[in-house]
Amino acid sequence: MAEAVLDHADAHDAHDAHEGHVHKTNTGMSNNKLAMWVFLGSECLLFGGLISTYLLYRHNIQDGPGPSEEFFDIPFTSASSFVLLMSSLTMVLAHSAAERGDQKRLKIWLLSTALLGSVFVSGQIYEFTVFVREGLGWSTSPFSSAFYALTGFHGVHVTIGIIMLLSTFISTLRGRMHPGNAETVEIVGLYWHFVDIVWVFIFTVIYLAA
Amino acid sequence: MSVTNESSDNLAEAATGRHTRAMRRLPVALFAGLGLVLAGCAGDAELDTLKPAGPEAEAIDNLVDPLFIISFVVFFLIMGLSAGVALKNRVKGDYEEGDWPEQIHGNNKLEIGWTILPAIVMAAVGVFTLLVLFDLNDTEANAYAVAVDGETVEWEPHVVVVGHQWWWEYRYYFDGFDVDAFLEEGHANPAKHLPPADIVTSGQMVVPAGQEIELSITSRDVIHSHWIPALNGKRDAVPGRIGPWKLEADEPGYYFGQCTEYCGLSHARMRMQTIAMTDADFATWVQQQTTPATLADEDAAFIAALRAGEDVSPANSIQQGLVHIRQLCSGCHLVEGVNAFADADPDSVDNIYKEENVEISLLSGAAPNLTHFASRSTFAGGLFNLYNADGSLNRNKLESWLRDPAALKANNAEARMGMPNLALTEDQIDDIVAALASFGERPSASIIAETFAE
Amino acid sequence: MAIIENPLELESGDVVRVAERPLGVLTRPSGNTGWQSWLFTVDHKRIGIMYGAFAMFFFLIGGLEALAIRLQLAVPNGKILSPETYNQVFTMHGVTMIFLVIMPLAAAFANYLLPLQLGARDVAFPRMNALSLWVFLAGGIFLCSSLFIGGWFENVPNGGWFNYAPNSGTLFSPTKGIDFYAIGLQILGIASLVSAINLIVTTLNMRAEGMSLMRMPVLSWMLLVVQFLLLFALPVITVALFLLMFDRLWGANFFNVEMGADPLLWQHLFWIFGHPEVYILILPSFGIISEVIPVFSRKPIFGYSFMVGSGIAIGFLGWGVWAHHMFVSGIGPISVAAFSVSTMMIAVPTGVKILNWVATMWGGRIQLTTAMLFAVGVVSMFTIGGLSGVTHAASAADTQQTDTYYIVAHFHYVIFGGALLGIFSGFYFWWPKMFGYKLNETWGKWNFWLQIVGFNLTFGPMHILGLQGMSRRIDSYDPGYGFELWNMVSSIGSFVIFAGVFIFLINVFVSKRQAEHLPPVGPDPWDARSLEWMTASPTPEHNFDTEIVIDSLDHFWHQKYGYDDDGNVVRIAYAEDVAHDGSATNVHLPSPSYWPIVLASGFPFVGYGLIYNYWLCAIGGFLIVGAIFGWVFEHPDDPDAAHGHHDDHGDDDGHDGHEVDEGTTENAEADLVTADSATDAGEASDG
Repeated sequence: MAEAVLDHADAHDAHDAHEGHVHKTNTGMSNNKLAMWVFLGSECLLFGGLISTYLLYRHNIQDGPGPSEEFFDIPFTSASSFVLLMSSLTMVLAHSAAERGDQKRLKIWLLSTALLGSVFVSGQIYEFTVFVREGLGWSTSPFSSAFYALTGFHGVHVTIGIIMLLSTFISTLRGRMHPGNAETVEIVGLYWHFVDIVWVFIFTVIYLAA
Repeated sequence: MSVTNESSDNLAEAATGRHTRAMRRLPVALFAGLGLVLAGCAGDAELDTLKPAGPEAEAIDNLVDPLFIISFVVFFLIMGLSAGVALKNRVKGDYEEGDWPEQIHGNNKLEIGWTILPAIVMAAVGVFTLLVLFDLNDTEANAYAVAVDGETVEWEPHVVVVGHQWWWEYRYYFDGFDVDAFLEEGHANPAKHLPPADIVTSGQMVVPAGQEIELSITSRDVIHSHWIPALNGKRDAVPGRIGPWKLEADEPGYYFGQCTEYCGLSHARMRMQTIAMTDADFATWVQQQTTPATLADEDAAFIAALRAGEDVSPANSIQQGLVHIRQLCSGCHLVEGVNAFADADPDSVDNIYKEENVEISLLSGAAPNLTHFASRSTFAGGLFNLYNADGSLNRNKLESWLRDPAALKANNAEARMGMPNLALTEDQIDDIVAALASFGERPSASIIAETFAE
Repeated sequence: MAIIENPLELESGDVVRVAERPLGVLTRPSGNTGWQSWLFTVDHKRIGIMYGAFAMFFFLIGGLEALAIRLQLAVPNGKILSPETYNQVFTMHGVTMIFLVIMPLAAAFANYLLPLQLGARDVAFPRMNALSLWVFLAGGIFLCSSLFIGGWFENVPNGGWFNYAPNSGTLFSPTKGIDFYAIGLQILGIASLVSAINLIVTTLNMRAEGMSLMRMPVLSWMLLVVQFLLLFALPVITVALFLLMFDRLWGANFFNVEMGADPLLWQHLFWIFGHPEVYILILPSFGIISEVIPVFSRKPIFGYSFMVGSGIAIGFLGWGVWAHHMFVSGIGPISVAAFSVSTMMIAVPTGVKILNWVATMWGGRIQLTTAMLFAVGVVSMFTIGGLSGVTHAASAADTQQTDTYYIVAHFHYVIFGGALLGIFSGFYFWWPKMFGYKLNETWGKWNFWLQIVGFNLTFGPMHILGLQGMSRRIDSYDPGYGFELWNMVSSIGSFVIFAGVFIFLINVFVSKRQAEHLPPVGPDPWDARSLEWMTASPTPEHNFDTEIVIDSLDHFWHQKYGYDDDGNVVRIAYAEDVAHDGSATNVHLPSPSYWPIVLASGFPFVGYGLIYNYWLCAIGGFLIVGAIFGWVFEHPDDPDAAHGHHDDHGDDDGHDGHEVDEGTTENAEADLVTADSATDAGEASDG
């Protein structure tokens, strides 16, 4: 996944060369952006499969802890979910800054998006350690395996997003970003928003339905 | 450069000539092919799906026969059309310049027609399919009187079927077995927690003819599939689930089966048979099976003394065999009245019924109940005939089975799949065979005769 | 890279700024000759040819496995293979034929033909295209290496291609075989997913001017549908494979019945992928024969929009039928009823296709070339597979048929009789386009007849065997069940197939030799209809000399022919006059790249690492991350060529690229030198 995404960033380095010339495509959407949309379509099914697995095994807790309000720290996870949702906002701000050519704000917002994402991932790692201490190991029950697989897959997606954000940030430092290729920021943003939306589903299915 | 009418006519004529010759040959070839097919099906196939012997299999056969006919008709239509058109319109060699037929791009009416027509045919097929499907999933209440321990009970004919690598277990509960209530107990692997049954047998399911038998099919290890083609279609045995199914035989008889879901190494050698009996024969069978191992008086006395912990020594080969069975086989096999799982030496054989040993107990481990071993006409998972055609014990096969089971039926005994090679001496084998042959009444001569696949 | 690599970018005058090279090692490879021109190529045609070549190699492996199976089953109680080896062999036969033969063969045609049929210069992401190829090869080698790694036939997947849980768990399958299966298929999935995204974007974005969706050839349409099926089916199997891998490597509980897991989870996930997979295998072949039949009937495809529509309908309906693989699993009568009906509905669009092919031939002028014979073979053989499919869509009937040889017969009629025969039709049809010479027709007819007779001898009797109750996946059978005769017939048939395939391989070499004494085939040897025939044969690296503007379906045919007042077809031009001679030298093409193959080589290391030693994962990770780094910072173009390009721009600076019409590309700057490479491509293809 990562290489596919980075390829887009790369493509936009090349795009520099064309000084903002918009390539003619049948859909009017650039290849890179379309590719990201198509890829996200595929990702929907990936998370669909994982969420279905979780729903199947939700109550299959054997002797371990189950998904209950007592077990989950709902306020904590809500807070970290809020942080992740806020990162979508900063991502939007980054995109608009990129379109305006506001280098300074672009850098700020990219970095804050990555930062908020990191806070979320850190929160997830912390949460995992708490759960493990409370007896919910990876092998405890079908529920535990499904829980860690689903949230873990999402966490990996967020991490890849952070890497993409930081790569974009680094290219702004190298002066490779300008209004002509704001689309790079937009494509990274597409991915980032998708990961956020998926979390809304996961949060509902796992925590709110507990 | 348009085609001259003459040349196109000539072409058409030539094509028609070829066409008629080919057309004349075509039906001959088709009927020859069809004849071959029917000849193949008419062979004596023990597992033939087109020879139903009960109402369920009959219903399926009645559905599938017209389907085959429709399929044949459609196939010959399409085949005839495409081959006929290809031969009729054939141009030999290169195209001549300007040899172009009328350029037709399509015909919406035709398209709509051949969209709707198959849809109607399929809808009709669908209706009949669903009727049969719901029929197969229906059960009727048919209380059947069975004498158990001298008391007559009303039994809703029902058998719990458990798949193991690589043999089938059949459990009879004459007091009834409430599947839903049992599942609510919430066992992770229900097949491991089945309550004690009135009859536990393996390899051969014995049922009264003319009765609908409800089946509850599950598995102890991997997925298997239970299939007696003459009596009904198949149903998977899925571990963790208990699947309902049913079968019925119109007449008393011997019906072959084969596991049909790939279940690992010896999937090919996982067989089973269903024996349908007259009411009288079935009653006798139940009476025999519900009593513990039938032994001669002196052997029974010997084993009773042994189990009581008395210091007795075996006086004959059977008694020697009983001692061996208690020592060597108790880890997996149960012979009621002779041994208990606790008899197994825990150091030499893992007791697979130890609850804490979760991994091992998930494996087949548990082996056929041998209490009425000699009453079955096959052994080793329905695979080998226990009796020769003349009714004598198939001693050679049984002995070589005990000598090295894996040589006859591939297994992975180290991983507790299949019977291990216990490195028995020839004397031990003779004694164990003697003891096994004494467990239960022999099946009737007709059953022994029908056991042979032709 | 899209813009620089984007091969449609023909406008001159764009100023290309060549970035500084970050590191000397990151220059792009410049080799246009020899092995380098293949290893580092990003040319969709070379990639397509390599897909085909590798797939044919795996086809021989899978074919030998099939022969081993048939030798074992020729007589009762076969002793050629041990039960364990037999289970490994039939598993590998299925996995190889599906994932390493039919899918990549379809990818070969997709890669080679899709951009050509759309009038595009290349795919949307040429380097990612190369990546798909090499990841496929890496995955294939990884899977097949299980045959000998850790001992000869020790760690081979043995759970069947469907690999049902819980038999696939470590408890019941303790060797490493299933690990190879789980990881190997994930690697292959990456290849297919990247390729699917690439080809979808290519089709949606890169079509020539005037090439509206409803002017695309049926093959392009079918390939597009297939890519969407892949796009949505692959993540589902990926989830299943991940869960299996978690269970096996790290003790998760997804399929552990002892912890209360439900084995049907695997079946649902597998078949939600597995059923669309069937259409992934068959639709490309439907597309191929939809190109072949019109050409050799001298008529346009009958009911084009219905052909396209039924293909899309099959694609959609294919998602609602997966549980027909589970009619006896115990999913409940209501589900069975629903899936039974939905499965029957698939017969409708499939029937439409078959009848449209027949209608295309109806009243045509039919030349029974080998390609056409194979195509007609598909129509009739697939019909048998489709009809037997209907007999088990009737779920009640399926309870007798499923997991017997009747099913084996059914899907071989679909996949061999449908997909593979169609692919052979494609070989004979496009061989002159790909390699510049026709395959010999005499050998070709021997190939066809041996293959079709052998095929029917092998798989026809399996219908009977299945109805006689012979179970699938059994390593031997006893005498006395009536299986002897037809198994022997079937085994003999398999060797006839082998002879047919062998003759195909001979034909390739014989025809190549003969072609030296024959005149060149020209761009359009079959008097065909779609755009690929407008390029020189073999297609030069840059595809079309000029951009094409499409004004109708079968644009190329309409360039050659028109109608007189009576509606008769009249020639208005010869193919040679309309087609391109491949002489353009000014076409900007993407440079080759090291990184796709380097990136792909990392995956097997990760795979072996997960199974044997995590340090190998580190090596694989290093290769992958390093290759991504190299990929990202890679020069848009070969530096030397770009240098020349830079100089040339001195003249062009005054031009406004947007005002330059397509004609001027012919005298515009020498953007990148491709004349040489085009010639090389031709020569290399021949070799």
